[in-house]
Amino acid sequence: MKEPLKTVIVEPGKPPIIEPGHTFASVTDKISSVVLTRRTPRGWYLGFGVSFVLVMVLLYALGKLMVVGTGIWGVNHPVGWGFAIINFVWWIGIGHAGTLISAILLLLRQEWRTSINRFAEAMTLFAVACAGIFPLIHVGRPWLPYWLFPYPNTMGLWPQFRSPLVWDVFAVSTYATVSLLFWFVGLIPDLATLRDRSRRQLPRVIYGILAMGWRGSAMHWHRYEMAYLLLAGLSTPLVLSVHTIVSLDFAVSIIPGWHATIFPPYFVAGAIYAGFAMVLILAIPIRAIYRLEDFITLRHLDNMAKIILVTGLIVAYGYMMEAFMGWYSANPYEEYMVLNRMRGPYAPLYWALIACNALAPQVFWLKRARSSIPVLFIIAIIVSIGMWLERFIIVVTSLHRDFLPSSWGMYYPTVWDWATFLGTTGLFVSLIFLFVRFLPMISIFEMRTILPQARVEE
Amino acid sequence: MIHDASLPEAELQQFQKRSLLVGIVGLALCGAGMLFNREEFFRSYLLAYLFWIGIALGCLAIVMLHHLSGGAWGIVIRRLLESATRTLPLMALLFLPIVFGLSHLYEWARPEALGDKILRHKSLYLNVPFFLVRAALYFAAWIAVVYFLNKWSLKQDQTAAPSLSRQLELLSGPGLVIYGATMTFASIDWVMSLEAHWFSTIYGLSFMVGQVLGAFAFVIAVAILLSSRKPLSEVISSEHLHDLGKLLLAFVMLWAYLAFSQFLIMFSGNLPEEIPWYIRRQQGGWRWIGLLLILLHFALPFLLLLSRSLKRDAKKLLAVAALVIAMRFVDLLWQVSPAFHPEGFHFNWMDLAAPAGIGGIWLASFARQLKGRPVLPLHDPFFQEAVQHGRE
Amino acid sequence: MKRRPPIYGLMAEFDTPSDLVAATLRAREAGYRKMDGYSPYPIEELAEAIGFHSSRLPLIVLIGGLIGCAGGYYLQYWVSVMDYPLNIGGRPLNSWPSFIPVTFETTVLVAALAAVLGMLGLNGLPMPYHPVFNVSRFALASRDRFFLCIEATDPKFDHEETMRFLKSLKPRSVSQVPH
Repeated sequence: MKEPLKTVIVEPGKPPIIEPGHTFASVTDKISSVVLTRRTPRGWYLGFGVSFVLVMVLLYALGKLMVVGTGIWGVNHPVGWGFAIINFVWWIGIGHAGTLISAILLLLRQEWRTSINRFAEAMTLFAVACAGIFPLIHVGRPWLPYWLFPYPNTMGLWPQFRSPLVWDVFAVSTYATVSLLFWFVGLIPDLATLRDRSRRQLPRVIYGILAMGWRGSAMHWHRYEMAYLLLAGLSTPLVLSVHTIVSLDFAVSIIPGWHATIFPPYFVAGAIYAGFAMVLILAIPIRAIYRLEDFITLRHLDNMAKIILVTGLIVAYGYMMEAFMGWYSANPYEEYMVLNRMRGPYAPLYWALIACNALAPQVFWLKRARSSIPVLFIIAIIVSIGMWLERFIIVVTSLHRDFLPSSWGMYYPTVWDWATFLGTTGLFVSLIFLFVRFLPMISIFEMRTILPQARVEE
Repeated sequence: MIHDASLPEAELQQFQKRSLLVGIVGLALCGAGMLFNREEFFRSYLLAYLFWIGIALGCLAIVMLHHLSGGAWGIVIRRLLESATRTLPLMALLFLPIVFGLSHLYEWARPEALGDKILRHKSLYLNVPFFLVRAALYFAAWIAVVYFLNKWSLKQDQTAAPSLSRQLELLSGPGLVIYGATMTFASIDWVMSLEAHWFSTIYGLSFMVGQVLGAFAFVIAVAILLSSRKPLSEVISSEHLHDLGKLLLAFVMLWAYLAFSQFLIMFSGNLPEEIPWYIRRQQGGWRWIGLLLILLHFALPFLLLLSRSLKRDAKKLLAVAALVIAMRFVDLLWQVSPAFHPEGFHFNWMDLAAPAGIGGIWLASFARQLKGRPVLPLHDPFFQEAVQHGRE
Repeated sequence: MKRRPPIYGLMAEFDTPSDLVAATLRAREAGYRKMDGYSPYPIEELAEAIGFHSSRLPLIVLIGGLIGCAGGYYLQYWVSVMDYPLNIGGRPLNSWPSFIPVTFETTVLVAALAAVLGMLGLNGLPMPYHPVFNVSRFALASRDRFFLCIEATDPKFDHEETMRFLKSLKPRSVSQVPH
């Protein structure tokens, strides 16, 4: 198998993916020092502290939910899917960019992925963890989650396999497992580096156990690379399937605004879109704080902006097709659903979503916008908000006006809805902080492979 | 270094003549058929037309994808793709028979359509004048994009100015947006509206992916056939075929993904406004054609293309490409014909004569375009790198 | 039982990947077979130089995928058709289109587990103890140095002779690897 990790592509006229002058030793030391020797910056304590407070808020909100019940939320007839589902879809979508960067870009031999794949994968795991909380607490009895899985039981009951919600259980748990495997396999050689380089006993033992005795043998590397490529090949269709199945949670029903055949590709594109926005939101401050501009160059940011532009166009295409087919279907409910989104009580949110998702990223047609860090950061935040609004519009506007006007109503999130949502952002950010502190946030061994001196000359 | 990048003139000349002959005979037979069975003539003609224009438009999409993404795979087939796009003016001309057959093909184009409540609602969009205006717009947009892509590409051959690559890249972004928007509505107008009550939001996307898949199979086949002759024999290597094979695999999977998504959602919803489309395609012989599509349009090429050695073997890859091309036709047949023959499988002799007719003329035009220009973009700034890629 | 050689082997340290690959090729020419190269990142040429080509891993993954695929579908079929048939909205008991998503997920899950466990198993990991770590400079194998270890179990291994041979390769240093 041709090893995509190995070739160094220097394209004339394009900025490099790693600044010149680095050696194997400098790359290793620079990345591992963040974990092993450098003093933890004060900002780390501050950021972790703030996000940890939010984790406490999350725990409080969840505790309250356990004691009182889902009545503390804003969900009620007719809107039975509120924040829990919106946030679930939003988080799991964010996770997709991590797998995309690590798997698809690896298969496409996009070398620039090397310096961002590790923390993008970490982002995937943490986003999936945040996403997973919501369906669990939304089922009402979160202490019985194993009922979702097919296991032999005295009641003789099985999950209903024609339901997309059961597909979701399989998809999300497979996705979490495979992402964890992929991330861990990628970490093994770097854990060995940390084991060999840490001077204190406890870290050495912990990293040593995790590295499992990795010694960098040629035969091991050979099988390792093959396993990594195979995992990438498996993760690529997996990541597409996960958001496809999430979209089927909606599309398999017959509710106007949910039952649309374009949902699978449109959700997948939206997930990648939101995910890359989140990678930018994280990468821009991290590269500034840890002085990693050599490794995460303008080229990376430019490429990510391009991906945001492309997926944003696909998402905009989805909006266009929904609106057109709403009219073309000649189905009064479909048509009403589209008009209700544009002119009904939630219209301001709909137009805000169009502005955030369809219009804002168009500035990325300009090279100047793609190379301006403030613009990138602002657009990334706008896109994240836009994608959250999109899920809000999809979930709420399709439910709040049911087929019969007697079942019309409004959805208002309560303070507990917001507390849970903010709490998961705190959980996500604190996990990111812990990750940055205790694991190499850039894949050290892959960075070595893209150095010019990594080539064997005969 | 390769200096002469033109193909052997005589052979192409002969191929062009033969294709033209097949085309004329095929169309003449169809013309005769029209006298006996006007309805069937237009149906077969539409099917054949969709198949061949799909290859030309798919090539247009691929060439723009290549300008945006780069890659050695695209440089070696770029001129084949460009030659295919230059047949679009001819395809615009060949659209004319469809214009005269609208009322035979589309129920909304008949006067009695206004008696149907749904069709009356849709008549704002589905009416003959607007249909023609839209078709003219589509062709104008495509031909304009094709014109500039080819003009700058030719200029690059003459002047070797590297700025032209940038120009091509800048055009390709908006070009793909134009292709996406126009082709979506073209697929609604030309194909989806054959069953005017039915609708599906994914349809345009899956139609475009079908076109790109067919075009990939077509250029892979042409590249392999030409790679036994100079100058392509000096450039195209198993490394390039491997990359192209991977792209073919990706599009086979993407096609299956989109087709299955639509089916699963409609199957699960089981709504009276959607599911009849599939019921018609599961009656009589159509069910077996559907099964054939699952097996030969997806399963077999998918499994074969997983193999690394197959992708690097010109003869075997050619066979897979040929299979995909054939299945593209079967897929279109399954999409189009049940609209006219919901009772079961139906195949008219003109369903073969018309594709042969349009195909002969199209291939003759394609060969003429190939002859006219160097078959390799020698002055592409990445050309040497692309050749080198094949030698590694 | 064969007598255990007094040491594990001899190890030479190199500065660049090219030196290591060249040294490995020389050792192979000299007739050594039981040896291994250690590097801080994967070097395709090194595995080739040691004489390591194919791997059973793709086969293991394929088998895993097939088991996941058949198992996943059969689970749904057995549950929905045989053990507890339920009419859901008039759909057929064996609603194959609805069963494809879960079948796909189980296929990927088992194949991915097979890939990781297969890789670890074939590599003999986790391995709590290995003699190469007894060489203190070997800690640099995960940073920027390249090592070639000729093992004492090689039939051609001879302490003096092999030491001389390794020194002739112009390494940075040669060290004994105790058990």
